[in-house]
Amino acid sequence: MDPQSDCTLVTAVSCHDIFDLQTGQSDSSPLAKGTAFAFIKAVQSVNERLVKLSEKQTLLFEVILLGKDCEEQAKSKIFDSAKYYDLEIGKFCFCSKEKFERTLQENHVKLFLSSDRDDVHSALKAGVPAALLCQQADQQVQNQLKVLFSGDLIGLTEDSTEYLKDLGFNDVQIHNFKAAKGRIQEFAMLIGEMRRRFGCEDSPLHTILMTVWGSRDICATALKTLRAWGLDVDEAFCLAGAPCTPILTVLQPHILWDDGLHNLKET
Amino acid sequence: MLIFFSFFCPVCALLCVQPKPHTAVTIAVSSRTLFNMVEERKVWEQEGLERYVSYQQEHEEQPLKPGAAFPFVKALMTVNTRLRELYPEGEELFDIVLMTNNHAQVGVRLINSINHYDLLIERFCMTGGKSPIGYLKAYMTNLYLSKDSDKVQEAIEAGIAAATMFTPDMETELSETQLRVAFDGDAVLFSDESEIIVKQHGLDTFFEHERKNENKPLAQGPLKCFLEALGKLQKKFYAKNERLNCPIRTYLVTARSAASSGARVLKTLRSWGLEIDEALFLAGAPKGPLLQKIRPHIFFDDQMFHIEGAKELGTIAAHVPYGIGQKYHKGKLIEQLAKKS
Repeated sequence: MDPQSDCTLVTAVSCHDIFDLQTGQSDSSPLAKGTAFAFIKAVQSVNERLVKLSEKQTLLFEVILLGKDCEEQAKSKIFDSAKYYDLEIGKFCFCSKEKFERTLQENHVKLFLSSDRDDVHSALKAGVPAALLCQQADQQVQNQLKVLFSGDLIGLTEDSTEYLKDLGFNDVQIHNFKAAKGRIQEFAMLIGEMRRRFGCEDSPLHTILMTVWGSRDICATALKTLRAWGLDVDEAFCLAGAPCTPILTVLQPHILWDDGLHNLKET
Repeated sequence: MLIFFSFFCPVCALLCVQPKPHTAVTIAVSSRTLFNMVEERKVWEQEGLERYVSYQQEHEEQPLKPGAAFPFVKALMTVNTRLRELYPEGEELFDIVLMTNNHAQVGVRLINSINHYDLLIERFCMTGGKSPIGYLKAYMTNLYLSKDSDKVQEAIEAGIAAATMFTPDMETELSETQLRVAFDGDAVLFSDESEIIVKQHGLDTFFEHERKNENKPLAQGPLKCFLEALGKLQKKFYAKNERLNCPIRTYLVTARSAASSGARVLKTLRSWGLEIDEALFLAGAPKGPLLQKIRPHIFFDDQMFHIEGAKELGTIAAHVPYGIGQKYHKGKLIEQLAKKS
């Protein structure tokens, strides 16, 4: 294994999120931009700034494009469009639906992003860290990559089990939350290291912690846990049951890591 | 368009513990109004942001001392306790939110301090340097208190009731069983339309104008909705026969005189369906001594002259940067004063 790849934050994004493959395109024009476009451009700004700090920088984002069941025609359009928009894509991986999870694993993907919750769910099940990719209301805001972590998961401790049971979660869900916390750690540590390269102000990478149903103590535990993992978040929100959509609309994160809370779908 | 979170909703439904934003009266306080952070602020000013954040982390286990808004917050909590006694399932309560643009790492010390005093603050936003205005709107804030007059100004311009808090020069003993809120009239509860007349045309024209327009309600000012919110909660006590023992009391402390310009004010309040417990007309006398007797947990005024007077005599004063009063100092136009000096 290439020692460098350990430090590279390999992020896989589905081609369906990078480009809009639905709308009909004429042969000559490039594909329209998709949900992940702002994210990729923001990631590129982070990389640029990291390289500016040190030319021998090894801790960088590497974006891989994942194409599930793409037709040959679509593939060449994808290559051309990526070139047209000057997207820095490290690898183009086209695979079948069945080989999807294996492709993620084989490429040592540290984070798989998709706007499709089912895809995120399958990746998590296959043991690949995955998070929801969020559409930006304003596609122009690309100079800062915003990553949001769920404090409800990170703030979990052994004592939390009773609290979660009181809230109505069952044993399976609680087990899944704990597993999710483990998965976040590696990604959080890498983001933390990257974030530390920049100062408090003027950072191209911005990290946010949000606790949706947890108490303020859970939020405090989450802050300390992330700190122990090497990530000092910039912003923190404790909603304690207040609706989260209005705040998220203001925050506009690119990546939203709420992992285990997905499992509520199973009930 | 954001694709979001329908799966958070079942979780939120499980929680019936917290007051819901649309029925609660949401008060957002900044960290510097809730706690005394004068020493810490010096570190930031003299040594920079990075050092300030480390300093806070180093002192994380030391609770911060109470700040100007602390007694106000404790009084809000007292009201909530009484409301819960009368309405155990009720959601119409005070919801106190910590809204600070402090860096999240300072959050641990803030949470430790909140825990130390057992304050009822479950929600907070630490915006890491970003303006809190967007978040204030998202939380449907009824009142925002801060030490930063720029942010307060921004909030008022965005239609949110807000005031800049000042720490009194001496400590006063305040009621622990009753929340007392005092308001100035013009440019606080009411618009500054009448104040403009005083400043530009003098007192005689003002009296004449007020008499003529006695029956025409004044337009509303930035803090009218907050008085309304307090009134709604007061009515919940009246409904349970607790009028005499109501833990909320409101005061109007105005420089107007009862005889010549007071009627319009009272009629305006009546037209809005609002009650104020005590209306005190000073006819131009200083407000400080009267406020000393009232001992409010907070006093709102638009003129720094009155704020300073209140502060000197131990009243917790909050400046509302609204209207024509901002352009004047002690009755003279600020620009003219600058030219003279």
